[in-house]
Amino acid sequence: MSMSQKLELPLEPQAFAEDIFRIVSHPVMQEVYRFRHLIAKTVRDFLDEEGFVEFDPIMVGPVTDPGTRGAFEFRIPYYGREYRLMRSGILYKQLLAAAMEEGKIYFFYPNLRHEPIDAAKTGRHLVEFVQIDLEVRDADHFQVMEIAERLLKHVIDEMRRYEDRLRKIWEFFGSERESLPDVNLPLKRMTHRKAVELLMEHAKDDEVIKELERRFGVRRPQDRLSFKTEIPWEWEWYLSKIHDQPFFIHDYPRGARGFYDREYPDKPGVLMDFDLLAPEGHGELSSGAAREYEVSRVFARMRETNENPELYRWYLQFLRDHGKPTAGFGIGMERLVKYICDLPSVHLARPAPKIPGVHSP
Amino acid sequence: MTDYPIDEIFRRAKLGELAVYPPKDEFGYNVFGADVYTKPRRFLLLDDIVLLPPQFTPERLEKGIELLREPLYTDVSTEASVGRFRVRMPVVCAAMGGTHIANLIGPKIAKGCAEMGIVYSLGENIAAIRGYDERLTKQPSFKERALAYLENLKDGYGGLVIQQSVEDENLKLWEKVYTDPDFDRYVEEGLIAFEIKAGQGAKPGLGGEVLVSREVAMRIKDHYYIPEDPEKVVKDYYERHSAPGTFTEDILTSQIRLIKNNFPRVKVFLKTGPYRDLDRVIEIASREGVDAVTIDGKEGGTGMSPIAGMRDLGLPTVACLGAITRARDRGIRTSLIISGRLYDGSHVVKSLALGASAVAFGRPLVYACMGSIPLAPAFIRRELFRNPLLRELGKIALRWGVRGEGCTEGVVNYLKSVENEIKMLTSALGKYYMDRLSKEDVGALNRDLAELFRIWYVYSAPEASEKVIQRGIELS
Repeated sequence: MSMSQKLELPLEPQAFAEDIFRIVSHPVMQEVYRFRHLIAKTVRDFLDEEGFVEFDPIMVGPVTDPGTRGAFEFRIPYYGREYRLMRSGILYKQLLAAAMEEGKIYFFYPNLRHEPIDAAKTGRHLVEFVQIDLEVRDADHFQVMEIAERLLKHVIDEMRRYEDRLRKIWEFFGSERESLPDVNLPLKRMTHRKAVELLMEHAKDDEVIKELERRFGVRRPQDRLSFKTEIPWEWEWYLSKIHDQPFFIHDYPRGARGFYDREYPDKPGVLMDFDLLAPEGHGELSSGAAREYEVSRVFARMRETNENPELYRWYLQFLRDHGKPTAGFGIGMERLVKYICDLPSVHLARPAPKIPGVHSP
Repeated sequence: MTDYPIDEIFRRAKLGELAVYPPKDEFGYNVFGADVYTKPRRFLLLDDIVLLPPQFTPERLEKGIELLREPLYTDVSTEASVGRFRVRMPVVCAAMGGTHIANLIGPKIAKGCAEMGIVYSLGENIAAIRGYDERLTKQPSFKERALAYLENLKDGYGGLVIQQSVEDENLKLWEKVYTDPDFDRYVEEGLIAFEIKAGQGAKPGLGGEVLVSREVAMRIKDHYYIPEDPEKVVKDYYERHSAPGTFTEDILTSQIRLIKNNFPRVKVFLKTGPYRDLDRVIEIASREGVDAVTIDGKEGGTGMSPIAGMRDLGLPTVACLGAITRARDRGIRTSLIISGRLYDGSHVVKSLALGASAVAFGRPLVYACMGSIPLAPAFIRRELFRNPLLRELGKIALRWGVRGEGCTEGVVNYLKSVENEIKMLTSALGKYYMDRLSKEDVGALNRDLAELFRIWYVYSAPEASEKVIQRGIELS
């Protein structure tokens, strides 16, 4: 079998249910999996060099973080109680960054999120995925943004050494990319407000609107832009599309994120957080923030998501007695692979991908 | 000495903490609300307002030209938009939770509401107490009630409103619905709203209070405050309290934003109660782009509330309606729904004239449903549920009776009568569309109400009130 047997290989999520071996054994897919391994190794080397300590993920607990964008949590019976599978490791990250002398910790954290069916259309959402999840004590979001950009540059620079092999993957998936970008630090940073203003400007162009309507099946995407909420998927794609270098969006409005993203003490309503976006339409690679760590603030913020503080007892007790300022981020492993390999959909970065609503192996 | 409530004190001495509630044997079988008719009458009501048909009806002329004949009352269109849902008439089924009666007849009412194209609301705690899709008791589950409504919708009318309380949050009810393939179609069609529950008329500032059986108490004791541990204390019914939930302006703002952010395909409703800072609540909701605010006046119905709460907590319904009128005067255009002892077409027309977008009915639909079940009316009217033996008999009769279609028919008939009334009254006012109703169509029999709403006090010379009205119209 050669790398050019493209047309004979159905790759939509359902195809995995029909003949998974045929897909995972295909030479191009094998290459994609090898790159995932290379990227993971590069990330580990970088973080270890920086003095981080790696932990194994904690998979179940009495509570997981409040999800975002409507994802439900998986539950399992646990000795007469109901426990949750982690949607993210955020609570444990804070705990361990505060506890460890090094003050720098990371996980390769598998996350499970029962995403709404419409997330299947984005090409960027998986029910099961891995985050490179790190946390640093006594840091704020700007400091970890610097780690994030150096890490990303390091991965891209390392992968450039294999550009010949990558080119074959790009070609197979119909990518027009010829090389990985030569990343210039510091990366561009824009506030959420600026990003939305920019998009509102572009939304005046009928061609842009038509393309978004066609590509994402949304009606009047211009009405979905708001200074008060997350940037909608279609617009995030667009913003990413018009960039050729990775870039940051920071300072999201409160209400767009969970209670753990810290609000600027002197700028009410604005969060000390960020997203790192890949260019060329790949969109969000990473989300991060400085954390709320004072129990009074966390308690009040929990009400915003209507969380029941009762469930978070261990976490609130830890913050009350030992809470320390930390900041961190998580990089979606599959999204990073998708970006490096320029895959058309994130599900191709996993050998047995779980897409919302699809019953695959 | 004669009017001193000696019996009441005796009752308290006997019952202790439980005495704050109405006699418990009634619970769940009768439906309560503030008793406004006991003397001396303490609240002004919508009945203190009358409708004022004019002799000269230019809009009737317009309608005639459109129809090429004299218009009749049947030509009135009751269609409206409530919280961006298209509805056959401006009536909403108020949220009823998981209490015994509300839940037992829930699917029947749901079907009637779907048939009549009105919005149907599912109260808090249904999934927690009765189960999300599997039945946890002999009663219908959350999903049975929801789908009984959604599957019977027709002609593009209606919408389902789903509440989540603090305890439902343990279940992650909204996320469950949002990611459930059975609901996805309806989410996609825009037929679902999530409602933040921030209050209830009969008990503003208090959480849900319910008596539950021992079986239910054992199951939910980890999630709710139950004063007596059902494992240790054996009795028929246990009090179950839920937290009212803490709100600040910031918290409400963020909750609204989070729903919009996390569940972009649903509409956002807010249910609030007869609070003194109602004007501010409406203002924030409107600023944050909530699709509809339901305001439950203190006369609102309830399965169980402290007697003192029903008597003394909160603003009467007409005062809440005053907040709606003020909101309109300030240019707020958000859908505002009023409820609290409102039950006929006349209440709907008056409320709309004073600025409401729709009226929510709770008790009327429960009674319309139960009234059509054999034997049930006798039990309700003669308070036979008070007697423990008869209550058991009544329970059996009810469960048996609910299997028939009488209940749904009762709801449909009742709503048809309201629809007909709305048409007649609107036509009498020389109008043919719901959004044409305005302050000129109502007058007050009482000076305080005239002032509250800035409408004509009908026992004064029109010129005297003219200025007041004019000021209102200019502002709106």
